[in-house]
Amino acid sequence: MAVVLLPGLLATEAGGQKRFELEVETVGAALHALPVANLLLDEAGAVRPLVHVYVNGERERDLAAPLPPGACVRIVAAIAGG
Amino acid sequence: MDVLLVVGTRKGLFLIRESGNEWQLEEPLLPGWQINHAVLDPRDGSLYACTNSWVYGGTVHRSTDLGKTWERSEELGLPEESGLKLASTWHLEPGHPSQPDTLWLGGEPGVLFRSDDSGATWAANEALLGHETRERWAPGAGGLVCHSIALDPGNAGRLWIGISAAGVFRSEDGGESFEPANAGTEACFLPDDPFPEVGQCVHKVLAHPARPERLWQQNHCGVYRSDDAGASWERLDENGLPSPFGFALALDPADPDVAYVIPEEGAENRVTSDGRLGIYRTGDAGASWTPTVAVDPAWAAVLREGMSFDADGGVYAGTQSGFVYALRDGQVTEAARHLPPILSVEASTWQ
Repeated sequence: MAVVLLPGLLATEAGGQKRFELEVETVGAALHALPVANLLLDEAGAVRPLVHVYVNGERERDLAAPLPPGACVRIVAAIAGG
Repeated sequence: MDVLLVVGTRKGLFLIRESGNEWQLEEPLLPGWQINHAVLDPRDGSLYACTNSWVYGGTVHRSTDLGKTWERSEELGLPEESGLKLASTWHLEPGHPSQPDTLWLGGEPGVLFRSDDSGATWAANEALLGHETRERWAPGAGGLVCHSIALDPGNAGRLWIGISAAGVFRSEDGGESFEPANAGTEACFLPDDPFPEVGQCVHKVLAHPARPERLWQQNHCGVYRSDDAGASWERLDENGLPSPFGFALALDPADPDVAYVIPEEGAENRVTSDGRLGIYRTGDAGASWTPTVAVDPAWAAVLREGMSFDADGGVYAGTQSGFVYALRDGQVTEAARHLPPILSVEASTWQ
């Protein structure tokens, strides 16, 4: 099982839920299982450039990367905008 | 019947309700989203917003309870074989009254979508995606944006779209095909070919609801009117307008000869002309224009979605400096101030 934590705007889009416990084996599977998957991934299935994924505190860019048991996946919006 | 103004800003959506002689600003909706355009569907009262984020991309939100709760589109994107990705959502147009679940959506890069399930899923318009002239389209300052979608109330198969900077395109078959409709409109930024088939920088196109073969256009290079459904255009900006440049456009549903524009100094200085915010009206199909000055002095800017009109001749404009003005019976009133930069205004009536 992995725990996925969402930032505020995504939690709002997920109906107010910011913590998800998912039975998934990869980073990509975790993102796809979320109700905000189409905000994290574009139409080609790629992670949007300013969406950063951290697994147990380390930046992870590979959607195929396996998740260790009990992993904490944190979605972080890059600093952008004005 | 009072007016409800639906105002999209760079930082959220605002509703402004008229109550008696007062304007009441409600709490922001969709905080954190840039609202390029939002509209109340007159067919069923649903509120739609073109929602965009630097981080999370462009999508569409729908509310059936005036913003208390929202649903987000489930499927919205471009087919992989196009080689394109949706950059932003820009304009949402409720479909023909005979197609109650149909919506049209314009976006970047120069793309059009249709939904037949009230915005849950969207199909990209293939005719535009693979249009034979696409390689001659060029992005304007706001990107390669499909921002205008005008429907013919009497003919569900006919629509016009406007893309900056590709020009106006007309479909007679419900979007199965599109033909350029730019004859007579200038691309003044192309000195070697100022009247091309495509490549014009159209800023806004509207069809008159009671006489839809009459189109009005505010272009990068002039104000135009067409009386033959876009087959030809007549330039109208040398009869009282201080500048051919501007973005905003509004009509009067009761009178096809009436139109409103807000001229700006020019492409290199995008502030309202003559140091004031003037809403210019023609009542003779563009033969002459006269201003109503909303604010003087002012160096304001009203974007292409930033002006709207109601069924009773009222005109409403929102500025990039966050003020909303109402023009009715020749009188200007302030409906809101100090909002985030305003990207769109739509006027609706509510009970």
